[in-house]
Amino acid sequence: MVLVVSGLLALAEPRFLNASNLVSVGTGMIYDLPVAAGMTLVLALGGIDLSVGAIIGLTSVVTAMYLRSGGSVVLAVPIALAAAGGAGALNGLLVARFRVAPFLVTLGTMSIARGTATVLTSGYYLSGLPPAYIEIGRGQLLGVPYPVFVVLGVVVVFDVLLRRWKPLHDAYYAGTNPPAALLSGIDVGRLVFAGYVASALAAGLSAVFMTSRLAMGYARFGELAELRAIAAAVLGGASFSGGTGSILGAALGVLLLAVISNGFVLLKLSVYWQGVVSGLILVVAIAVDASRRRRNESR
Amino acid sequence: MNDQILGVQGVSKSFGRHTVLDEVTFGVRAGSIHALVGENGAGKSTLMNILGGALHPDSGTVTLDGRPAAFADPSAAIRAGIGTVHQEFGLFPNRSVAQNIFAGREPAGRAGFIRWRALGRQAQAILSEIGVDLAPSAPVATLSVAAQQMVEIAKALSLRPRVLILDEPTSALSDHEAQRLFRLLADLKSRGVAIIYISHRLSDVRQIADEISVLRDGRLVGRTTREASPDDLVSMMVGRHIESITPSRRTQLGAEIFKVEGLTRHGVFADVSFGVREGEILGLAGLVGSGRTEVARAIFGADRLDAGRIWLDGRALAIGSPRQAIASGIGYLTEDRKALGLFLAMTVRDNIVAASMPALVSQAGMLRPRAIRAESARYVQRLDIRPADDRVEARTLSGGNQQKVLLAKWLSVAPRVLIVDEPTRGVDVAAKDGIHRHLSELADAGMALVLISSDLPEVLGLSDRIGVFRQGRLVTILDGATATQEDIMRHASA
Repeated sequence: MVLVVSGLLALAEPRFLNASNLVSVGTGMIYDLPVAAGMTLVLALGGIDLSVGAIIGLTSVVTAMYLRSGGSVVLAVPIALAAAGGAGALNGLLVARFRVAPFLVTLGTMSIARGTATVLTSGYYLSGLPPAYIEIGRGQLLGVPYPVFVVLGVVVVFDVLLRRWKPLHDAYYAGTNPPAALLSGIDVGRLVFAGYVASALAAGLSAVFMTSRLAMGYARFGELAELRAIAAAVLGGASFSGGTGSILGAALGVLLLAVISNGFVLLKLSVYWQGVVSGLILVVAIAVDASRRRRNESR
Repeated sequence: MNDQILGVQGVSKSFGRHTVLDEVTFGVRAGSIHALVGENGAGKSTLMNILGGALHPDSGTVTLDGRPAAFADPSAAIRAGIGTVHQEFGLFPNRSVAQNIFAGREPAGRAGFIRWRALGRQAQAILSEIGVDLAPSAPVATLSVAAQQMVEIAKALSLRPRVLILDEPTSALSDHEAQRLFRLLADLKSRGVAIIYISHRLSDVRQIADEISVLRDGRLVGRTTREASPDDLVSMMVGRHIESITPSRRTQLGAEIFKVEGLTRHGVFADVSFGVREGEILGLAGLVGSGRTEVARAIFGADRLDAGRIWLDGRALAIGSPRQAIASGIGYLTEDRKALGLFLAMTVRDNIVAASMPALVSQAGMLRPRAIRAESARYVQRLDIRPADDRVEARTLSGGNQQKVLLAKWLSVAPRVLIVDEPTRGVDVAAKDGIHRHLSELADAGMALVLISSDLPEVLGLSDRIGVFRQGRLVTILDGATATQEDIMRHASA
């Protein structure tokens, strides 16, 4: 599918295949990739995380405020991840421990995180970040921005772990049939908690790069990131009934979304259409997932 | 057969290239019970679905009162007076008993508002009529499986059917409850209702059926009466002769390796103590709801214990979760294979290694696919799981094979003590025989087994000793060699 869309786009607009355009497509994915990877884990566990986009906004604001108050660049990243991880821990606690429906929990934390970020900044950009911090996202090695290496590393390691590492691979059991997983000796609660923390940390990583590359903290960073992440994960084989999905598949989903969005830019269509298209892709992906499930159940 | 109410004439049905029913002729008369027996996959459910309007035959006719009738859908069959009670419940767990009985047909006023009091009253009337002591307002989710079964039957009867079709109605019931159901069926029969009774349990069938039809591989291979011997029925069902339904065991018991003392969970069970020796099978009998499953779950760490101690190999265990129980050497094969046992959407291989995975990973925790494949293949072969391809989803297997997959999962863990809860529920005769043999072999190999079963011949045939539960207490432990069904029932229901 990625190839088909890319092919069509290349025919319609030969500039798509320019090296500089391809690099820009690749760099454009660094924000969505970690989030989609985390979302895949949460979906495999039978949950959903609607709060990731808002966590990006909150993390960005917290990081910028810390740096502007004279904080150290070295500590800025751990502090960003701690803020994101804290929000994820709240999600995980409510879902795993208090058995609240994930949809409701993360809808709530989404509103809390976005609201907090907006209150903290009164809606303004927080610019004037130290150059050393901006270097994290903009610095390059062999002409490729640092974040690309980090994100690729995260995706590859995450993919291998989910497929092959028992503690994480157990997510498939826990997502397919939680009580049966419990009776098979799998600590479902701990795994679900870890899933939400991982998802939030991935959003935190995305926020670090966004804040650094765009050289500011902004409460509205990461808007609709959850939607793109869910679409990418479902395109990559994840299902709302849990128990399926792969990081590699989700990465291909992100690539598809990035190519389509790049097509909009190249074909000079309004960027405002992008939200419509992402939503459309999500709805189609969900419909495909639902019919796949119906077919399975009727067997 | 002039008084035949519902029947089929030369009905065939195929799914793809697979012929499920082949020229079957079958019918039931008013005021009689016609039992339909056969192994899983023999075509019983398909026949039931055709009679109930859920499926259409490829050829042949369905007859009602001697005339051809084609039911467009299940509701057409219901309007024609055919009530069906499926093996898998179609209940709404969060709704009350009364709402379930009258789902979609609640008494309502002119504006469509439900008349709750009338609903409760009518539900109560039906429940009293069939002699079931259930509160109409209780949510179905809070009921035991047996009680849910009765709700399902009450729902079918509320339609005042002329024909009642029941699929494995006793598989979730204890003997006592099954007897109550039989009295109800006899009563319905005397009122002229025609009953089609589908079951694996030959003792049930021989007790209540006027006629018995045997299906094998989609063909009607025999018609007989309740006077037929179990051996004859079994050989008709499987097409060969099976020596005995339950093997009698020759036992050489070792030392007592597993012991529980004073196990208590307030309001559920109290002061339960027993021990199991190496190579021993301890049967646990009792009515459904007498606390056997609950004790097993508590031992296994799935539910909390309020009091009591557990020893294995002389060591006192503190078990807080199934994970710890498994690590300590205790296994528990659940009674609810679909909801609590299997990962239906995952492969047979994934299911077999689900609990033994810790032994199949490297030190860093990485899965070893080759070891996993070998482990799974070993048990597929040893338990003769079919199909032999372990990459198919567990949901596609027959009940008997699914049960074998669950057993394989625990064999792969190789616990010191294995608690098996209703290991042959809803399983065909051949698979049941196989499971019995494997349980015996496990004991002979030195495992300590606790067998929870409502199937008395099974408990009697396999157990060295039999503990009987009544209302949350272990009331006695009988010698398996000398105990009889009557002994067990006397203690279980006194």
